[in-house]
Amino acid sequence: MPMAIISTDRPMFKPALTRVAFRRGFVAALPFIVSNGMAGVVMGVAYKGLGLGLAAAVLFSLVVYSATAQAVTLGMWTLSPPVAAMVVACIATNARYLVMGAHLHQLFGRLRRRVMLPIMFLLADASWVMTTADAERNGPDAGYLLGASVPMAIGWIAGTGLGYELPLKPGGPLAIAAALLPAAFVVTLLPTQWRGRKTVWPWGLSVTVALLISRLVGPNWAMLIGGGFGTAISMLRGDDA
Amino acid sequence: MPDWRTLIAIGLLGLASYAMRAGGFLAADAIREGSIAARFLRLAPGNLFVAFVAAACLENGWPSVIGCICALATMAVTGKEWAALSVGCSAAALAAALLIR
Repeated sequence: MPMAIISTDRPMFKPALTRVAFRRGFVAALPFIVSNGMAGVVMGVAYKGLGLGLAAAVLFSLVVYSATAQAVTLGMWTLSPPVAAMVVACIATNARYLVMGAHLHQLFGRLRRRVMLPIMFLLADASWVMTTADAERNGPDAGYLLGASVPMAIGWIAGTGLGYELPLKPGGPLAIAAALLPAAFVVTLLPTQWRGRKTVWPWGLSVTVALLISRLVGPNWAMLIGGGFGTAISMLRGDDA
Repeated sequence: MPDWRTLIAIGLLGLASYAMRAGGFLAADAIREGSIAARFLRLAPGNLFVAFVAAACLENGWPSVIGCICALATMAVTGKEWAALSVGCSAAALAAALLIR
């Protein structure tokens, strides 16, 4: 019988969905209203440049809700959009969510699907990272995932609309600082993942491959492939989390 | 009001996007405990984190590298996320202002 991927040699937490965790995640992710808002503003400006209407621009960010997928499909947009090719590009750029979703199943697989599947609509790279770290500290709580995801979605969607109405020039110091926020947040979580000297080689390989892929293929695949290589090395060495 | 072709494109892209988000969660039911896939998923987060940071730094340039180093150093010293984020983003903004000049 297929089973859920919950390890038996690790402490078992009963996953929950609490208001306390929602609030904790919401507060922790509040800075993303600014950073995602700035990125959304850039996307809104770009959509306006394409000739899309305000409603279509906001709908794009609301329904697709993926900066990478939207950026890639933005470059493919024509008067008669090549929908099939855009869908393939969207799947390719968002394939990393398969890994994140499967990992979240380790944490929340015992919660009802009708609870989890709507929450998954708001899954973002940063909310997954934050939820993973919070689960290690406080135990798995889907309230945190939802709470952390909401400010990110608000920033992205509202930013798109704002950018459409207020054409601003990206590339200034404040925009660069805001763009750094997701990476800086992940940096603060690295100590929780450090497992001593055995981490050095896998992480070194992850970084090297990520840089190569980002340069040669594109940044959309860098995290997935780079992290995949590092994880493969960890497995070959017999490491376990 | 967007035209129908735009709406269809947005709808299909949204569907593809959500399929990726929910697909991993649903497919995990089929992964056996103790399997290679299960172990891979347990080991993946840290490696994905550093790969994400490396790619972001490459994409956003030296201000991001400086910002991330400052954020990591502050986190190591203080253990406070808010302090690390403040110092990291301030350092990135300052570096960007100096480099843009």
